[in-house]
Amino acid sequence: MKQTTLVRPAPKRTNAPVFWLLFGAGGMLSALFGPALIVITGFMMPRGWGLPANFSDYDHVLAFAQNPFAKLVLLAVIALFFWHGAERIFLTLKDMRAGPLSILRLMTYGVAAVLTLATAVVLLGIGF
Amino acid sequence: MSERRPYHRVQPRNWWAQKPYRAYTLRELTGVAVALYGAILLAGLVCLWRGPAAFEAYREWATSNGALLLHLVLLAVMLWHVVTWFQILPKTMPKLILGGRLVAPSTMTAVALAFAVACSIGLLVVVIIIGALS
Repeated sequence: MKQTTLVRPAPKRTNAPVFWLLFGAGGMLSALFGPALIVITGFMMPRGWGLPANFSDYDHVLAFAQNPFAKLVLLAVIALFFWHGAERIFLTLKDMRAGPLSILRLMTYGVAAVLTLATAVVLLGIGF
Repeated sequence: MSERRPYHRVQPRNWWAQKPYRAYTLRELTGVAVALYGAILLAGLVCLWRGPAAFEAYREWATSNGALLLHLVLLAVMLWHVVTWFQILPKTMPKLILGGRLVAPSTMTAVALAFAVACSIGLLVVVIIIGALS
């Protein structure tokens, strides 16, 4: 009998782990600090609950946003929240068979990528 | 023509809104609230960038009843995200064995939830202390 060897093709690489990692990081960050962040920026800062009156005025928020470490925190929170939402919306729409995958990716990952870039640009524009 | 005529079970178009998939769909849609909250923060940064007048307009919007209601909804959905996120956690982690015993998934969820509550309360306390000192 003639011997044959099976040559397996190299496994196809996917970019899914990258999006999965961003999804997981955003999910963990929002699960640990999301409720407190919403309470702070949605209730305490606008209404002055538990905070001094000038805490959320232009000068103070600008000084905060000009701090390099605060910039990193803001970029991490905003961008990772976008990527977390994008992954969940993408997988849900994919399961619903809402449309071609390339369009769904553009609507979710694409929007998250653009908004991440916009956040970085605005943070740099605010200055140091 | 193929002899094979496999049975295809009919799936309604709105299967995702029906049990038992509804809970899964609701969990996944918490991602919309998380992303929307990110967008609100980004809008604040854009207004900050544009100057004092734009930032005042943003602050005025933030004190409106609509914004208050929106943040209440976002908070409720975010809390649901926290609970479901740590319910998934044991399923995504390798088995955890402590002292020769398998840690139950419910224990991992409970410990992680307690940690998350501590993180959020810790952040609130830090912000209140910074406010009091400034």
